[in-house]
Amino acid sequence: MKNDLWVEKYRPTTIKEVIGNEEAKTLFTEWIGNKKPLKKAVLLYGPPGVGKTTLVNAAAREYNFKIIEMNASDTRSEKAVNRIATPASSFTGLDKFSSEIKGNMLFLDEVDGIAGNEDRGGVNAVIKIIENTRTPIIMAANDPDLEKLRPLKKICLLIRFQQARIPLIIMALKKICEQEQVKYEFEALEKIALNSQGDVRSAINDLQGLSEEGKILTLQDTFALSLRNKNISMDETLKGYFAAKNVAEVASFLNSSDAEYDDLLMVIGDNVARRYTDIVELAKAYDYLSQADVFRGRIGTENWHLFKYFYNNLAQVAAVNPESYKPFEFITPPPIRVITLFWTKTKRTMLASICTKIGNQCHVSKYEAKMIYVPYLRLMLQQKNKTNTLIEWLKLTSEEVTFLTSLKMF
Amino acid sequence: MAVNGEALMWVEKYRPKILSDVVDQHAIVESLKAFMRNPKIMPHLMFAGIPGTGKTTTALCIAYELFSMQNWKNFTLELNASDERGIDTVRERVKDFSRYSRGAFGDVPFALIILDECDQMTGPAQTALRRIMETSSRTSRFILICNQSSKIIEPIQSRCAIFRFSRLEKTAMVEHLKSIAKKENVNISPEAVERIVDYSEGDLRHAINALQTAAAYKENSVVDEKVVSQVIGEASPKQVQLMLNKAINGDFMEARRIMYDIIGTYGFTGAEIIRQMQKELFKISYIAPEQKAELSNILGEYDYRLTQGANSDLQLSALLAQFTKAGITLGENS
Repeated sequence: MKNDLWVEKYRPTTIKEVIGNEEAKTLFTEWIGNKKPLKKAVLLYGPPGVGKTTLVNAAAREYNFKIIEMNASDTRSEKAVNRIATPASSFTGLDKFSSEIKGNMLFLDEVDGIAGNEDRGGVNAVIKIIENTRTPIIMAANDPDLEKLRPLKKICLLIRFQQARIPLIIMALKKICEQEQVKYEFEALEKIALNSQGDVRSAINDLQGLSEEGKILTLQDTFALSLRNKNISMDETLKGYFAAKNVAEVASFLNSSDAEYDDLLMVIGDNVARRYTDIVELAKAYDYLSQADVFRGRIGTENWHLFKYFYNNLAQVAAVNPESYKPFEFITPPPIRVITLFWTKTKRTMLASICTKIGNQCHVSKYEAKMIYVPYLRLMLQQKNKTNTLIEWLKLTSEEVTFLTSLKMF
Repeated sequence: MAVNGEALMWVEKYRPKILSDVVDQHAIVESLKAFMRNPKIMPHLMFAGIPGTGKTTTALCIAYELFSMQNWKNFTLELNASDERGIDTVRERVKDFSRYSRGAFGDVPFALIILDECDQMTGPAQTALRRIMETSSRTSRFILICNQSSKIIEPIQSRCAIFRFSRLEKTAMVEHLKSIAKKENVNISPEAVERIVDYSEGDLRHAINALQTAAAYKENSVVDEKVVSQVIGEASPKQVQLMLNKAINGDFMEARRIMYDIIGTYGFTGAEIIRQMQKELFKISYIAPEQKAELSNILGEYDYRLTQGANSDLQLSALLAQFTKAGITLGENS
């Protein structure tokens, strides 16, 4: 239980419980409760960690909608949006008649993530879907002023979320402390709340990070908090990630970094061996990392509801044994994998060409040529006598022969 | 083709040209001969069995016997399913081929398509293949070759006569190697032949390649066990062994470096590396069998995670870390 993330544990499940933003909550509830709303889509915007996603999920529960979610890290090409979103918005579904579920809600989180070439057509696809939809579409964004989202603003109901007010955050923190039986100085909670700049999520993460079992949380403890920077670099992310004292602190650092998850996974993979010098700790950390990667694989491009498992495992990697932490020099991007594959590309290309030639003469696939022919052929070619005809028969170039004779066995 | 018409890898040079010469698959050869006598009744064929037991050779022999040594290439399309990436390439080439070879001459009313390593094809690709087999069945016959027939979808299996190639008998392999050595005027000791056969694990191509290399290596007139051992040592996956040993003996960083080295040079996939680790693990002499079983289970776990995960070298690194940890407990126990 100690390792549960409080952010998840105490995430509000009803609209009423969501902290602050009463006006936004009212507007949203009206929109969702209205059978014929003026606008078919709604865009929730505001700073991170103030409850946008939480509100959507709570509302879905209360109004019996099923949520189909797409996340920013998904490739938002028109095709991808259509594939996932269109069925959800044009079929009302049998569920509607057979159960309590009233229908689907399409939830596009972090729409300001639709960017760059990769997502070409993303915004237009979303607009098209809004135009054709029969089901409510909800979008969330941190920065609604982005030029490319302008067309969306015209056809959506805009609901603004503000930073949660400090007293409300303090109240929420107090409640958690009571439930978790954490003793505290009031000033400490105040400091955490102030420091969060209205981001409830980060405040809760900080609280969990700072509190220790059997100890009173003092104002002194909170001095360790640095002012949150929402765009910290990979290097800083790693520093905070590995130096964190427990799993919640790790999570708060992951939250504050905007590094790509896949990059993060690779870079942590490169650095984890420097972090843990004790092999038992290292093996444990790698096991979590491996599990995180497994969930990353299962998420693919659409199963974003599995994200929390990816994230929790990733957080555990850094928290295997905080006691053993000593500062170390990071291997920063590009990751070892990328560098290795870059420098060895010519080698692999040459080997592939050799294997194709072997395959043509010997009726085998490239893989079999690599496994059963190359190991022996390179030895034969090392014996310089009488190999000319063999080289000629296989049509090998002189570079390929040189490459083969100096090739180390795998 | 070959220099002076003669193949210089012995595997090719001594590849049987007629069905009767195929090594140690008598029952299969006898059934196939019936088709050769009356090609019109030949169905699609599927050859299944472990590597190096004569599946491709038998398929080629059928081509030679149906269309003659001179003409077989005009009526035979040979494809490696695992190389010809994607079913679209296969479809295009098969379509083109069956169009141009329509109305094959002589007594044979069809062209032959040999598709090797079919079990590497994905499910959808196999479904597409099934369709191709149907649409071109008037003009073509398929010989599908695979290691495991269970990896081929049911509808394709039911369209083929399936032949299972069994592991070659040791004595048959020994005889075959001896006869090649004799034709090449290589003097080889009986122990050396035995050593090659043991090492090659029933894969005749492996054995013949080892024989040819040993013949190139020999210093005096006889290929003896010493030369063979030297060749086998040089041709065994040394870096994979080294990587395993480094990990088990506590040097994780070095093991990981070697892993990247192998991936970089050879371009192996994670699954291919694990397959080799599995093979080499059981050859390590200083680990007790039950400890090997334990390590093998770790391999199995990560083999599975690889199929689920997104990043193969991360999984391999994690695997090596588990091996290093297990290695330490092995050291403490012994």
